[in-house]
Amino acid sequence: MTDERETIRRVLDGDYDAFETFVEKYQARIYRHICKMVPDRQQAQDLLQETFLSAYRGLGGFTGASSFSTWLFKIATNTALMFLRKHQPECIEYDDHLENVKKSDVVPSATAFVSTPLEMLLSVEGRKKIEEAIDSLPVLYRSVLILRDVEGFSIEEVSQITETSVAAVKSRLHRARHAVREALTSYYGEKRFSGNRRVS
Amino acid sequence: MTQMNGCDDFCGCLSDYLDGEMDEKCRRIIEEHLESCDTCSTMYETLKTTVLACAQGLPAEIPEDVREGLRTYLRTHCKKECV
Repeated sequence: MTDERETIRRVLDGDYDAFETFVEKYQARIYRHICKMVPDRQQAQDLLQETFLSAYRGLGGFTGASSFSTWLFKIATNTALMFLRKHQPECIEYDDHLENVKKSDVVPSATAFVSTPLEMLLSVEGRKKIEEAIDSLPVLYRSVLILRDVEGFSIEEVSQITETSVAAVKSRLHRARHAVREALTSYYGEKRFSGNRRVS
Repeated sequence: MTQMNGCDDFCGCLSDYLDGEMDEKCRRIIEEHLESCDTCSTMYETLKTTVLACAQGLPAEIPEDVREGLRTYLRTHCKKECV
C-alpha cells in the first residue's frame, strides 16, 4: 500500500509511466472481472479501457479510505453495471430469483464431486464446467462470487465495491455458491454414473 | 442465528461458516452438528470444494491484443490530459 501511495503521488505529479505500473499489475484481473459481468469480448475490452481511463481521471479523488484494488474494482464494477443497465437492463432487473438452499438439495452424487481430484476439477474440461456454472448465475450474484471467491476480497470489501450491505453480499454469495455447487455436483455425479455404465 | 432448528437452518449458515463470518458460539454449534450429521457434512464438503474450484479454476489472463489495445488507448487519452 505504501508503494501504491508513492506510485499514486508520482502519477499525480504527471508521471504517466507510473500509471502504467498500475495497469500492468491489475489489467488481467480487471479484465477477468469485467468478462464475467459482460461476456461479449469486444464490449469487455471497451469497458476495460473505460475503467482504467476513469481510474486515471479520478486518481486525484482517491482518498486511501479503501485499498487501491478495492477502489479500482469498484470503478470496474460500476462501469460494467452502467453498461448493463443501459444495454441489457433485463440482466439486472430480475435479481433475486436464486432459490435458497435446503437439506434436500444434497444429492447422492455429492460424494463423486468431493472425491474428484483437484487436478481433474482444474483440467481444461473442469474449468469449462466451473465457468459455465458461474456464467449461468444472475449477474449480481456472479459479480459477488467472483469478487469474493476468485479475487479474494473480504465480505466487507465486496460490500464496498458493490455498494450493497454486508447482509446482501452474504445472502447473494450463499445462494451463488450453492447454485455453482449444485451444477458441479450434478455434472460430476453424471460423469461418474456414465463412466460406471460404460464399464459395465 | 444461535437458534437453529434443523438441517435447513444449518445449510443456510454454511457459507458464513466457511468465511469465518460468525461468532464463536455459532461456530461451535455448527461444528457439533457437522460432526453428527452426514448430510450437512457432505453439503459442507461440496461447498468447500466448490469455493476451492472457483478460486483456482479461473486464471487471470488477458489476450495480447487486448493488452496492447489498452496500452495504446490509454497512451492516446491519458497523455493528452493532466490528472
